[in-house]
Amino acid sequence: MTPDPIPLRAPSMLECRNCGAGVPLDDHFCGQCDRILALGRHGDYFSFLGFPRRLSLDAQTLERRFRELSRKFHPDYFYNSSPTERLASLERSSYLNDAYRTLRNPAARIEHLLAIEGLPPAKSDEGGVKVPPALLEEVFELNEELDQIRESREEGGDRETLRRRLDAAREPIDRKRVEHERQIAGLMERWDAQSEAQSPERKATLEALRERLFERKYIDNLIATIEREAAEVRPDTAPIQPTGKARAEDRS
Amino acid sequence: MAYSDKVIDHYENPRNVGSLPKDDANVGTGLVGAPECGDVMKLQVKINPHTGVIDDAKFKTFGCGSAIASSSLATEWLKGKTVDQALAIKNTDIVTELALPPVKIHCSVLAEDAIKAAIADYQKKQQQDDKAGVPVGAHAGPTA
Repeated sequence: MTPDPIPLRAPSMLECRNCGAGVPLDDHFCGQCDRILALGRHGDYFSFLGFPRRLSLDAQTLERRFRELSRKFHPDYFYNSSPTERLASLERSSYLNDAYRTLRNPAARIEHLLAIEGLPPAKSDEGGVKVPPALLEEVFELNEELDQIRESREEGGDRETLRRRLDAAREPIDRKRVEHERQIAGLMERWDAQSEAQSPERKATLEALRERLFERKYIDNLIATIEREAAEVRPDTAPIQPTGKARAEDRS
Repeated sequence: MAYSDKVIDHYENPRNVGSLPKDDANVGTGLVGAPECGDVMKLQVKINPHTGVIDDAKFKTFGCGSAIASSSLATEWLKGKTVDQALAIKNTDIVTELALPPVKIHCSVLAEDAIKAAIADYQKKQQQDDKAGVPVGAHAGPTA
């Protein structure tokens, strides 16, 4: 993946394989011969797209930058070029797609930032960071309640009672999700404010972000379970959703 | 990726689902989770304090088929084992038995963690009882 280091050059520079000129790491085309550069050693998704390492990222700006570069790298423009350039166009297009998809999604953007800052998400088979016990207990209890609602429904329990229980179970999860989003937004802002300074607090911010991301999958799973169950206990005679579609979907 | 027959069997007929009284001094509870997939696994053991043998084991797992199968298998293996034998169970034993694919190895790690956490919880309780001067086994349940 990484080519041999080029001697006597700053680490932030690469060599154009066509004309030998020195080029900055995140340039896409050679400043001297204008050819597309092979994707060798490169920076990260932020720098590839020409963005600073910040978490607030305007969706329209990202979209515009993506389209601009997509056009420049498009393999159709390199149809008659050398094999090296054709390969470079493919590699840059593919890397650009990955970068765009990752940065577009805020959670994936945070994960990428953590990875390039040296805090990859902990894999449990590597015995990394553990989930806070209080979170596990909370998640386990909420799951148990949802499980009991499902069992009661399968035994033909009263729908109206089940709906009320489901609403009651949904409430703390919704609250948790709102709180989660609020904390993530706060940490993103804090990181952006710190990102210029070389302060030890930056690492603390990243670690707090990583811990918040742990919650995310649990919250998402719980919400998915609730949605599934909610679809099952929908009213038979639908006073809340009096559409023909809702009745047709209810197979009971 | 297809699940092996053994995983499907444990998933469809999980052994020892349920829970044991958490406050019983002879019951150890392990609650562990894998944040990357949002799984949560509870494994409990009931240990005879006189013999150090695991009399009963229960689990409840909210997660994928492999996580359920790994914890179900773990409870099967735990019954009748001593604490030391239980601690010797490795996640690789579960991987082999269930023929788990590489992407599901973390489920077996979770089960091993759960065993260790449950036994650690039991040992902590016993030490506390010793300190409090309660005779070992004073809380032994009806099956002990």
